[in-house]
Amino acid sequence: MESGDEAAVEKCRIHLRPGTLRDAPPAMLHLLPCEVLVSRPAPVGRFFTPAIRQGPDGLEVSFRGRKLRGEEVVVPPGLVGYVMEEKGEVVVGKGSSEGSSNDKEQEQQELVEPPEALERDFDRFIGATASFSGFTLWGLETIPGPDAKVRGALTWPSLAAAIHAQVPED
Amino acid sequence: DGGDRARARQHVFLLPEYFKDASKKMKSGLMFVKLVNPCSGEGTIYLFNMCLQQLFEIKVFKEKHHSWFINQSVQSGGLLHFATPIDPLFLLLHYLRKADKEGKFQPLDQVVVDDMFPNCILLLKLPELEKLLQHVTEEKEIDKKKYYKYSKEKTIKWLEKKVNQIVAALKTNNVNVSARVQATAFFSGDQASSDKEEDYICYAHGLVSDYLPRELSDDLCKYLKLPEPS
Repeated sequence: MESGDEAAVEKCRIHLRPGTLRDAPPAMLHLLPCEVLVSRPAPVGRFFTPAIRQGPDGLEVSFRGRKLRGEEVVVPPGLVGYVMEEKGEVVVGKGSSEGSSNDKEQEQQELVEPPEALERDFDRFIGATASFSGFTLWGLETIPGPDAKVRGALTWPSLAAAIHAQVPED
Repeated sequence: DGGDRARARQHVFLLPEYFKDASKKMKSGLMFVKLVNPCSGEGTIYLFNMCLQQLFEIKVFKEKHHSWFINQSVQSGGLLHFATPIDPLFLLLHYLRKADKEGKFQPLDQVVVDDMFPNCILLLKLPELEKLLQHVTEEKEIDKKKYYKYSKEKTIKWLEKKVNQIVAALKTNNVNVSARVQATAFFSGDQASSDKEEDYICYAHGLVSDYLPRELSDDLCKYLKLPEPS
């Protein structure tokens, strides 16, 4: 998604499958105050989640021997959180590996897509795999305060609305 | 979850709630496309909703030392993407100002052309374009076809209205607009009254300038009689 890895083909459109927004099952998200360098499956439910305790000032857990403090943060009103994944090089008519009924439906959607998508060969697809209405925000030793950058970011949608709303006519 | 899942990058997004309902009616039409960034002139990813005929910009929260746990997986980077509506007029302005170098009235499909970002034709599909363009162009109608010419005067007035609109939102959202205020508030605890109107206008000018080329931002600065940015 970051512009860096999209540089090759300016014509490229990445289609977001609308159906996946309806069907996305709820997910548990934690925003950690540290960088884990590799993205991959992790036994979060075995080591992390069961260790979370309700302490006097919010949630407590430890990760790699460091104490974390956290709290639930809700998604701003009017928005829904989604986790999205790109589905490799999907070619029309070629089924994906998971083979659920949902995928068959998606396959049909590809087939009925209008031929006006001329850059067909370059087009890619992305879909929501999960949804969320809030996540747990973790800080090292203390709960991230009101000045935390992520809290500021969550106020962006209301400000953006003011910047981009149509101005009244004269 | 197989090896494929391990390699797929997960993107954490916040999208408008109403996408879900709109998605019932459409089979396709939500797409990420690269369009010109009206401030930098470089390519930026936007989200186009053909069903709602609306353009959204993507802002990314990105801070050092963050990662996500998403269900039973870890995603490095800790990025959080926001899709929020953008006024398409900012992008159209980029093309109108460019076409204005030729100094004549032109039909819109000759104005919005771009070899670098061919997806710009999507902008022509937005509803109520004619109404939008009235804010920033002079227009002529010949044989039922509309011709447009960029008007700096109208654009500056339109931007002034934008600034007023943003100032009002900053006040309702209690956004702290002055670094100076933080220090005084720390001692007196009297923050609200010390925010000056000019601070709000400066801040709003800064926000709207993120969508304007430097030259237009400077012109607006002069028009609003704001102090020169240091």
